[in-house]
This record gives sequence, C-alpha cells and structure tokens, in this order.
Amino acid sequence: MLIELRDVNKTYQGAQPLHVLKGIDLDIDRGEFVSIMGASGSGKSTLLNILGILDGYDSGEYRIDGTLIKDLSERQAAEYRNRMIGFIFQSYNLIGFKTAVENVELPLFYQGVPRRERHRRAMEYLDRMGLTDWAGHYPNEMSGGQKQRVAIARALVTKPDIILADEPTGALDSKTSVEIMELLRELNRKDRLTIIVVTHESGVANVTDKIVHIKDGVIGAIEENSRHDASPFGETTLMK
Amino acid sequence: MGRFFDTDRFKEILDTLSRNRGRTLLTGFGVFWGIFMLILLVGGGKGVKQLVAGSLNSFSSNAAMVWTDRTSKPYKGLGKGRWWNMSMGDIDRLAALVPELDVISPQSFGWDRPVATYEERTSSINIRGQRADYARIEAPTIRYGRFISEMDVAQARKVCVIGKQVWQNLFPGGNDPTGKRIRIGASYYTVIGVDYNDHSVVNINGRGDEAVVIPITTVQRLYNKGDAVDVIAVTAREGVVMSDILPKIRAAVASGHQVDPTDEKAVPILNTEMFFAMIDSLFKGVNILIWLIGIGTLLAGVIGVSNIMMVTVRERTSEIGIRRAIGATPRMILSQIMTESLVMTLVAGAAGLVLAVVILDGLELANTTDGILKAHFQVGFWTAVGAVLLLSVLGVAAGLAPAARAMKIKPVDAMRDE
Repeated sequence: MLIELRDVNKTYQGAQPLHVLKGIDLDIDRGEFVSIMGASGSGKSTLLNILGILDGYDSGEYRIDGTLIKDLSERQAAEYRNRMIGFIFQSYNLIGFKTAVENVELPLFYQGVPRRERHRRAMEYLDRMGLTDWAGHYPNEMSGGQKQRVAIARALVTKPDIILADEPTGALDSKTSVEIMELLRELNRKDRLTIIVVTHESGVANVTDKIVHIKDGVIGAIEENSRHDASPFGETTLMK
Repeated sequence: MGRFFDTDRFKEILDTLSRNRGRTLLTGFGVFWGIFMLILLVGGGKGVKQLVAGSLNSFSSNAAMVWTDRTSKPYKGLGKGRWWNMSMGDIDRLAALVPELDVISPQSFGWDRPVATYEERTSSINIRGQRADYARIEAPTIRYGRFISEMDVAQARKVCVIGKQVWQNLFPGGNDPTGKRIRIGASYYTVIGVDYNDHSVVNINGRGDEAVVIPITTVQRLYNKGDAVDVIAVTAREGVVMSDILPKIRAAVASGHQVDPTDEKAVPILNTEMFFAMIDSLFKGVNILIWLIGIGTLLAGVIGVSNIMMVTVRERTSEIGIRRAIGATPRMILSQIMTESLVMTLVAGAAGLVLAVVILDGLELANTTDGILKAHFQVGFWTAVGAVLLLSVLGVAAGLAPAARAMKIKPVDAMRDE
C-alpha cells in the first residue's frame, strides 16, 4: 500500500475542542485514482491537510510507502512534501510575479536542482500540458484552465508519489472542468500516477475510479466507480 | 542552500525584488534618504567647520588684541569719558612689565576709506599699518611675493601687500603684481606681495580681502599720527594662559596714559583663546547634532523598511504559503526574507552614499577658487566603509521581525487565502 491511515484522530483545540477526524482508516494503492467526497465541515479538508503533510494529527498512524509520517519537524515535513507530494489547488496558487515556467521550476529550486536542468524539466512538463508557447507568460495573462494546467505541471515536475488535488475544478467553468479532469485521468492511466481528488462535486468524483465518502469525521462508504456512471458532469448539480 | 553566495539563491532574491519594483523602491527609499542625509550632514558639517577653522588656523590661538576707548572711571584727578591713544612706548612697557608675552605687535589704521588705482582700474581698500612680526600672530597666505619686512618698517618704505579682492580688482589678468606701483591718494606704493588670507577671524577696519598692508611707520607718517597706535596684538609664551595675564596687560598699558588700570571699558581686550574655545565647543555641539539627526533619519528609514516588510510579508502570505507547500523549509523562507532586506538596504544605502558623495564633491568644487580648496567637504573613505557596515547590520536587523513573522506562515495559509 502506498498510503495507509490507521485510526487517525484530529481534534482542533480551542474554547470548544472540535473533534474533526474520528478514527479514519484508509488504504490507497499506488496508481489509484481516488476522490474524497464530503460536504463542508465533514473533515475532508483536514484529511487532505494530513495526507499532504501540511498538518499533524493527534493519534493513529499515517504511512506513505511504509514511512511513518508523524510528529515531523517543519524541515522534515517540507522535505517529504517536496519529494513525495504534488499539490493542485482550487485557486491555482501560482506566484503572480513569476512566469509559467518559473512557477513550474520552483519546487526543483527548493530541491537544489541546477538552473539549466530545472528549466529543461519544467519545459518538458509544460510541453506535456500543451503550454510550451505560454512558458514566458505571467499567470494573469492566462485563462483559468491554462493556470490550472501550469499548476499541474508544477505538481508533476518533482515526480511525486502522490498528487493531491483540492477542488481542482472549483474555479473553472464546466467545459474546462471536464478537460482538467480528463487530463488527470489520462495522467493516472498513462503514468500510473496516484491521484487523490478532494471535492464536493459528484461530477468531479465520478471521473475517479474510487469514491471515498466522508461525513462528520468518519468514512461512510467507499464506492468502486470503475464504470463512471455514478453521476456524470452536469446531471446532479445546478452549476455544472 | 547552505552557502550564502549561492548565485541561484541570489537570482531568486533579485527576481523577487525587481519584479515587485514599486514595493522595493518604496521600501528602499527610507534607507536611501537616511544614508544620504547622514553623509551629507557629516561632510557638510566638516566642510563648514573647515571654512571657519581655515581662517582660524592662520590665527594664533593664544593671542589678544588691545585697543582703546573712552575712559569709564575717573583716575588721578582726571574725569571719566576722556579720549586717549596708545603709542609706540606701550610696546616697550608691555615687554618690560609683562614678560609672559611673546610677540607684541602694534597696528595703525588709516580710518578713511581710500581707493587704490592701477592704470584705469580702481579698488576700494582699507589701510592697515603693521610690523613684520604681525605675521607671527596672524599668518598671511602669501600667493605672490612676500610680507612686509623689518627693513620696510625701519625705513618707512612705500610698499604694500594687497588682499585678494584688491589684487583681483586691480590685476584682473591674474598676473603676478609684485613690483607694480599702485596709487593710493597722492602716493604711489610698490606691491611686494598678495595675501590670500581673508582675515575673517578678527575683522578690524573693514574686509580682510580688501586690506592693503603697509609698514606701520609709513601709515603713521602718512596720516600724521606721530607714534600713535590703534591696536596692539600680542601672543603669550607657551604654557601661559592668556586670560590669566589680561589684568597685567591692561595695567601695563594704562600706566603710561593716566588711565585706571582696572578700567575694562577704556582698555578693551579681545582674547582669542576664549574665542577659539567657544568656536570649538560650538562645533562639538554641531557635530553631536549632526550625528544625532543623521543616525535618527537613518534609523527612521530602517524602521520604515522593517515596517513595510512586515506589511508585505502579510501581503505575501499566499506566496510564502505556496513556497512552503512545494517544499521550502522555514529556514529557507527566513533566509530569503533576511537576504531581501539586506540586499534592499545595501543597494538603497549605496545609492544614497553615492549621491551624497557626488553632491559633496560639487560643494568642494564650488569652494575652490583659483585652484585653492578652502575646505574639504568630502567624507573619508573609512567613514564610507563604516556607513556600509552600519547599513549591513541595520539591514539584517530590519529583516528580523518580518522574517520571524514569515517563518510562522504555514503552507495551509496558502489555501486559506484568496
């Protein structure tokens, strides 16, 4: 198993302690295309943060490829994130004053990859996203779909074990949403990439092979979705 | 990442700074202005001090000037309010009664405002009758020729040393005027020297650069003054404090003229020692003020940098969060913010330094007449090095608080924002 979660608990301390994750058990194998679905407040964002080593947890175990991810120092966490995980965010989160190719290069910069090599690899991934001509453009000169594809190139460039996508189509129109999801599916099929998509849209989840439903901090059902007929785009939601 | 001079890392910093040009300029301006003002004030203060001290330097620092006024006290049956004059006899009396004195040099002035003429040109002048030993009290800055000699005085020769302005008025070509004969009133005098010192320390009888120095004996004869003396300039021997012997000087002069030896109104004495001490403490005060203002301005600039960086760090929460999410460690963020601050401070400071140095250079140029530099305005090399070191320290200090805040930014903040 690539990802193993065993009885993971997380409580946010405060005036009223909030028990967000109540014993999560989850296994995800290498090459799987999984979506985590849930309403807001269900704990899916917290789960994503833990999976992405952006946040810690209180009890239980989380292993990536057998390595226990627990109580890491900021430095270690940063290193693991950089090496093992590629992020795709809802709002793209590109750095505005950097060009597309510079944004893609950035994770490699933090890995200490030499400039020329960095550029070569970044261009390679931009090329795969069909954005070679846009390499020198700044994010505000690109459309939402293009920006998200730059973000995907940035997530892929370090060849991570896991791609974590947080509402990757949240800011896109339905046509572009379909394109982006198709792109992720293709990456999963061709490159055997492990992709975890967190979403509240059933249309998005339907593209994935496995849908993990989370509700009130516990995993409700795990739905195999190999036929992709659970809920196509545009059928269940008003927006899409 | 460990090495400080990592070109890759610097490229990243410079990119960040140059692509946020408005922010960078705004932030750097405070430091630019601070260092500019500091250097300008320090250099300017030094220059002004030298301008004043330049004329001071030629003046003996332990000298006094004695002259006469109406008596204010009755003495030996004579009423107060009487006019009186010093004479050449006072020179011998002072030498005999006040052995602490070194040079005793009498002066006699032509109190009218005569005009000197050479060919078609004229210049207003003031006439100072002096002896050769006056040069030991206030050193002339001889450009051409020489000062008057004892022989000139003894023979009451018709020779003169002319001031800078007189020379420029009468000899506009800028040639050596020695040997030329200029006319003053009805008599002709041979120019023997040009004095560039404008004698602005003790200004008696008109502007120093319009002075025409003539042997005292010649003046006394010309103005029918007999052996009357207007001013006696004295210097004290080494180790003697002038203010201690002022009463003795006054008593010695008064004793020959039926004047009360304690009459300070009748025998006024200007003590340059006190004058010098005053100027000295004045400039010490000015210096302290300059550094206070300069450092204050610089500090305000640095605090400004720190402040604006605090704001920009908050503004850059998302950017820093993204960097953290894709693998930057807190240390890398820390060093990035610190280096940004350091680079910004150094570049802005260096620009301020260069501009200040250029302006000081201009001031030096403006204060140079005929190739003679009146005062050095330029700051020293080590002052500049010190300023750069100070800037580096301040740059790091300015980055501390913003960097600490940036370090606290968690990668999740990148997602929360926007």
